[in-house]
Amino acid sequence: MAEPIIRMKNIEKHFGSVIALAGVSVDVHAGECHCLLGDNGAGKSTFIKTMSGVHKPTKGEIIFEGKPLDFADPRDAIAAGIATVHQHLAMIPLMSVSRNFFMGNEPIKKRFGMSFFDHEYANDVTMREMKQMGINLRGPDQAVGTLSGGERQTVAIARAVHFGAKVLILDEPTSALGVRQTANVLATVDKVRKQGIAVVFITHNVRHAMAVGDRFTVLNRGKTFGTASKGEITPEELQDMMAGGQELAVLEGSLGGTV
Amino acid sequence: MADTSQVDERIKDISPLRRALIRPELGGIVGTVAVFTLFLLFAFDSGMFNSQGVMNWSTVSAQFMIIAVGACLLMIAGEFDLSVGSMIGFAGMMIAVFGVVLAWPMWMAIIITFVICVALGALNGWIVVRTGLPSFIVTLAFLFILRGFTIYIPQTIENKTIIGGIRDAAEGDWLAWLFGGKIGQPLFQWLGEAGVIAVFERGSRAGEPVVDGIPMLIVWAIALVIFGHILLTRTRFGNWVFAAGGDADAARNSGVPVSRVKILMFMFTAFCATVLAVCQVMEFGSAGADRGLLKEFEAIIAVVIGGALLTGGYGSVIGAALGALIFGVVQQGLFFAGVESSLFRVFLGVILLFAVILNTYIRRIITGER
Amino acid sequence: MTSKMKNVLLAATVVAAPFMMATSAAAEGETYILVSHAPDSDSWWNTIKNGIALAGEQVGANVEYRNPPTGDIADMARIIEQAAASNPDGIITTLADFDVLKGPITAAVDQGIDVIIMNTGTPEQAREVGALMYVGQPEYDAGYAAGLRAKGEGVTNFLCVNHAIQQPTVGERCRGYADGLGVELGNSMMDSGTDPAEIKNKVLAYLSANPDVDGILTLGPVSADPTIAALEENGMAGDIHFGTFDLGEEIVRGIKDDIINWGIDQQPFLQAYMPVVILANWDRYGVLPGNNINSGPGFVTKDGLAKVEEFAGEYR
Repeated sequence: MAEPIIRMKNIEKHFGSVIALAGVSVDVHAGECHCLLGDNGAGKSTFIKTMSGVHKPTKGEIIFEGKPLDFADPRDAIAAGIATVHQHLAMIPLMSVSRNFFMGNEPIKKRFGMSFFDHEYANDVTMREMKQMGINLRGPDQAVGTLSGGERQTVAIARAVHFGAKVLILDEPTSALGVRQTANVLATVDKVRKQGIAVVFITHNVRHAMAVGDRFTVLNRGKTFGTASKGEITPEELQDMMAGGQELAVLEGSLGGTV
Repeated sequence: MADTSQVDERIKDISPLRRALIRPELGGIVGTVAVFTLFLLFAFDSGMFNSQGVMNWSTVSAQFMIIAVGACLLMIAGEFDLSVGSMIGFAGMMIAVFGVVLAWPMWMAIIITFVICVALGALNGWIVVRTGLPSFIVTLAFLFILRGFTIYIPQTIENKTIIGGIRDAAEGDWLAWLFGGKIGQPLFQWLGEAGVIAVFERGSRAGEPVVDGIPMLIVWAIALVIFGHILLTRTRFGNWVFAAGGDADAARNSGVPVSRVKILMFMFTAFCATVLAVCQVMEFGSAGADRGLLKEFEAIIAVVIGGALLTGGYGSVIGAALGALIFGVVQQGLFFAGVESSLFRVFLGVILLFAVILNTYIRRIITGER
Repeated sequence: MTSKMKNVLLAATVVAAPFMMATSAAAEGETYILVSHAPDSDSWWNTIKNGIALAGEQVGANVEYRNPPTGDIADMARIIEQAAASNPDGIITTLADFDVLKGPITAAVDQGIDVIIMNTGTPEQAREVGALMYVGQPEYDAGYAAGLRAKGEGVTNFLCVNHAIQQPTVGERCRGYADGLGVELGNSMMDSGTDPAEIKNKVLAYLSANPDVDGILTLGPVSADPTIAALEENGMAGDIHFGTFDLGEEIVRGIKDDIINWGIDQQPFLQAYMPVVILANWDRYGVLPGNNINSGPGFVTKDGLAKVEEFAGEYR
C-alpha cells in the first residue's frame, strides 16, 4: 500500500490535568474514507482539532505527505490542504450559495486597475459544482437559508474540495439529518473519495460509518482500539468497542439487541 | 443515488413577486413611489416641486444619504454607531478650532479633522472588536464623550458654543470648495435666463436664478452611494462585509478577517459623518456645539427603511439611499403639504414600524424560517 | 393575500390622513411662517405658538410655526430655505446664529418675501439681512428703560448681579441700567458665577462692604433667586430697591411679598403677535411702522401679577 497522506503517531493532548488523548495513532490514505467512531467525550473532537491545526499535540507527531507538520494556526492547515467541515457549518444563511461558496476565497477580476468580485465566474463555478454534487439550485443567488441541512453539508464539502482539500475532515455531518438527507450526504462523501481525496469521517453512528467507510478506528476515553478494514469487522463489534465493551452487553440484553 | 433524488418536489418554483420581495431595495422603491405619489397629489402647487423646493428636499435627503451610506455598511457588517451625530458636531468644531481659532490654512484644518475623526472611528471599532461588547453601548459612550468635548473645547478657548467666521477663513481654499462649493452654475444661469426657473426679484442678486448650482453636498451623497454600492456588491471586501455581519464565527472559519472588516466599517462611518460636517460648516460658516443632535438615529432609520436588517448580514446601499430620500422628502414635504410639523414624528414612527415588520417578513422568506 | 391587501389599505389610510386634514384646514388669506431656533423641548416658545395663532385668527391669515426638532441651527437654515421655496407672503424668524442664517434669510428677502426678525438678533443685523424690522427686546434699551424707572423710584447707587458674564449681550442690560440712572457703571457690575450659594454670599459681602447701595438689578432667575435669599437673610428685603429681568416662580413670589419692585418681561407674546399683524397690514394696505418694535421691557409689578399668573405658559 502507498504511503498514507497523513499519519498521526502517538498523539497525546493534555488540557491541564485532563488527558484528552492518550496516544492515538491513525493514518489516512488518499482516496479512502476513514471513519473515526466514538461516543461523546471519547476525544474525537480534540483529535480532529489537532489534525486541523487548532490544537498543538502535547506529544506525538503528525506527518503530512511524508513531512513532519507544525501548524501555527488553522489557516496553515487549510493552506496545506487539510479542510474541516464543521458540525455547525461555516455557512451564512442570509447570503447566496455562490457568495458562501467563495467566502474568503473570492475570485477577482480587474477593471480599470481595480479589483472586483468576479460574479460571473463565481456563479458558473457554483452552479457547476452543485450540479456535480447533485444539487439543482434555482440560481446561484439562492440563499443558503433555503437549503436543507443535507444540502448545506454538501455545499460545504464541495467548497472544501473545490479549494484544493487533500484531506477532508467531516465532523458529524449526518448527526442532525433525516434519513434521506443522510443518504445524500453519504453519496457526496462517496463522490469525493472517488476523486482521490482522503476523507476523515467522524460519527457515532455505526450504520452511517459502515455505509461509506473503508477503514474504521474507534476512540474510547482518549485511546484507540486499533483500526480495522471494511469486511474485517461487524457493526455489532464496532458498537461494542465504542461503548467500551462490557456495559453494552448488559444494556443490549435489556434492549433486545436493537441498539 | 441518482441525481433525480436531489430534486426536492416540495420546493415550489418561486414566483416573480416573491423573488422581487427578497431584494432588499424593494421596500425603498415602493416607499419612494408611494411618497412621491402622495406629495404630487397633495402638495403639487405648494412650491415643493419648483426648483427651490426640489433643491431643498434634495439637499436634506443628501444629508441623510451621506450618513446613511456609512451606517448601512456598518449595519450590514453587524454593528451600530450611535456616535454619528456627535461626530458631526465634533468634526465641525474641529474645523472651526483649527481653521478659525488657530487660523491654519483651511485645507490643512480639513485634512487634520478627517484624520482625527477617522482615527476616532477606528478606536470605536477597535474597542468593539477587542472587548466583544455590543457596539450599541461602546458607541453610546462615544456619543456622550464627543458631544462633551464639542461643548467644552469652544467654551474653554472662546467662551462661547458657536464659532463663526469659517466662510471667510475658507475663502478661495481649494479643498474647502470640494465641500462647500457648487457645480453647474452656468447651466442654472442659463435656465434662469430662459425662464425655466425663478430668479431673484430684488437685492444684490436680482436677476440671478434662485437655485444657482448643485451643492457639493449632493455630489458627495451620490458619489458615496455609488462607492458604497460597488464596494458592497462588486468587490471581495463587500462579500466580507456581508459575511462579518451574517455570522462572524462562520466568516472567521472561512478565513474572512472579520475584525479588520468591522474596524474599517467604523472608520468609514466616521468618514461619512465628517464629510457631512465639513459640508455643513463650509455652507453655513459656523460650527455649533449642538450640530448633528440625534442624526445617528436618522441614519439608522433611513437604513432600516431601506431594507437592511438590524441584525446585520443583509441590506443594500441603494436601499439605504432610497430610505434617506423618503426620509428627506417626507420631512420637508409634510411642511409643503401644510401638515403640523409635530406630526412628522408620528409619521416617522409609522414608517419605521412598517419597514421593520416588512424586513422581518423578508428575512423569513430568505432563510425559509417559519 | 386578502389580509395583506387589507394591511396595505390600512397603511395607506394612516399615511394619507394628515394630508386630508391639512387640505381641509387651508383657508384663504396670506401665509406667514414663523421659524424659531428652539428645540421641541423648549416650552417657552409655546407662548410664541399661541401668539401667532391668535394673530392669524384675528387678521384672517394662515400662520405656521416651524422649528428644528433638536434645536440644530443648521436644520433651521434648511427650514428657512424650505419656507422660502413654498413662497409664503412673509417669514418671521430669529437670528440665533447670524453666520448660518444670514444666507438663507437674505435669499428669501431677495426672492421677494417679506421678513421680520424677532426675539434673537439685533436691529443692526436685521437691517443687514434686509428684514422689514426687528421685534424684540434690545438688551441695552431694556436696561436703559429699567434705569430710568429706577431713577424715578429713587435709586442712586446700584449693584448689577451678572450671572452670565461671558455673554456680552446680557451685560448690555447693566450698562443700559447705569446710563438710565445717569451714573457710571464702574464696578457696580458683579461677576457672580452661576452657583446659587456663591451668588448669595457674594451679594451679602458686596452689600455690607458698600452700605450706600440702594438698588439691585438681577439679570434673570439664576441671579434673582439667590439674591432674594440674601436679602431675606440680612434683613434688607423690602427695604432696598430690587428690579430683575425675566419672570420665574421665585421672582413672582418676590414681587408678591414686596421684596422685588418689578420684573422685566420681554413679552414673547408680542414678538409673535406683532409681526403677523404688521405683515398683514403691510401686504394689504402697504402700511408699516417706521421703526423697530421693542416688545420689552414690560414691567410686571404686584398689580399686574394676576394676569401673569392667569396666562402663564399661554400668553405670558
